[in-house]
Amino acid sequence: MNDPYSVLGLKPDASDEEVKRAYKALAKKYHPDVAGNSPEAARKMQEINAAYDQIINHKESFSTGSSGGYSYGYGYGGYRSEGSSEPIELRAAVAYINARRFVEALNALRQVPQERRSGRWYYLAAYAEAHTGDTVSALNHINAAISMEPGNGTYLAFRDRLMGRRSAYEDYSRSFGGISTGFFPCCFPFFPCCCII
Amino acid sequence: MFGYVLANASSLSPEEKRTYKEHYCGLCRVLRERYGQKAIMALSYDMVFLEMVLSDLTDADEAKGVERCIPHPVKEHGYTVTQFTAYAADMQMLLGYYSVLDKVKDEGKGKAEERKMRELLPTLEAKHPRVASVLKSGLEEIGKKEKEGCRDAEAMALGFGSMLGEVFVYDDSSFFRDDLRSLGCELGRFIYLLDAWCDRKKDAKEGAYNPLPEGIDEESMRSMLLDAAAAASTAFERLPLDQHVFILRNILYSGIWSRFKEGGRR
Repeated sequence: MNDPYSVLGLKPDASDEEVKRAYKALAKKYHPDVAGNSPEAARKMQEINAAYDQIINHKESFSTGSSGGYSYGYGYGGYRSEGSSEPIELRAAVAYINARRFVEALNALRQVPQERRSGRWYYLAAYAEAHTGDTVSALNHINAAISMEPGNGTYLAFRDRLMGRRSAYEDYSRSFGGISTGFFPCCFPFFPCCCII
Repeated sequence: MFGYVLANASSLSPEEKRTYKEHYCGLCRVLRERYGQKAIMALSYDMVFLEMVLSDLTDADEAKGVERCIPHPVKEHGYTVTQFTAYAADMQMLLGYYSVLDKVKDEGKGKAEERKMRELLPTLEAKHPRVASVLKSGLEEIGKKEKEGCRDAEAMALGFGSMLGEVFVYDDSSFFRDDLRSLGCELGRFIYLLDAWCDRKKDAKEGAYNPLPEGIDEESMRSMLLDAAAAASTAFERLPLDQHVFILRNILYSGIWSRFKEGGRR
């Protein structure tokens, strides 16, 4: 695949904000309502989506694999499975994760009975859960993965990322007046009221 | 719903305040048009947030106007309506109906209201079958766990969150469906936990259900909420938003905490 930045018509040092704006402009141009249902426009749209996905989600640098250090988002479809030794359910889950279909990935993972769940199973589950909003299970499962394979750098990095979201959030929230300003200047608890703005 | 997802007005610019308010008034207007004057009782900032996320995401066309309304008959004010205002209004009614139904079952209150809203239900369910069925089964599940006296606040919050996650997915084939679902789900967790926190003293006094462990302190509560808020903002930042992004960030990074301290005192 082409360099994702050039697909969006940007220089490689473009900021996230520029990427988002460029994505939206192109997405509008190739939207079926504007471009019609041509296969050409549909292909272009896929390309734009893939480029956006790669740039925005690559920054998360979730990587996978218990030994090889394959990384997700490294090149499109970079989440490679570990070959034929891997159980079919895990391969299916990896394919779903690649397609960013996390609910389906979790369904595939659930097919594996408890006693056959490896460190990698727990890692994949945690990864998919983190993307469907179930942070609590994600943390539990990544901890389980780490306790099964204590030296695995990928798992440790993923846990750091999950934990790091909090401090990033707190830092950022300061610029909006912080998170503990509990006040209301008016009749807010009573309804209907829009006078807080 | 609960009205926790609102901006911290003290750090919005006058321009941003006006935009925010116009979207709020737009939702109010559509609720009144579609469901009658009384429907504004269901109006909440939570759905204004949803409407603004979706309209920014898709660069939806805006219809603007000026009106006087019954709650504010004197002062003329502007409103903004997009294609998602109607969606947000429908979602507000669906959520509102199921919560009224819940009250009827639990406390026997609001029977007349329930009957009235029930008439709207077939239309809403036919229009939004996926969301309606998730909401229905989700609330049944929550109701069941409440009766069992489940004290696992995180599990309860996740149950509620997955309902709101479905509400955020306006189109199941959208490229951003998973990010929207995560955003809704995490916000839902946040709302559920904060609501439990704000009600815990009242619930204890009345012997009503509350999922939080007894005597939970502010620090542990803050940590649970922080986890949900941080996860919500991670999903949010993946979306290509540009028009309302400052207002939406203000809500997500600050406004949603407005009632946390207040809830601690009550």
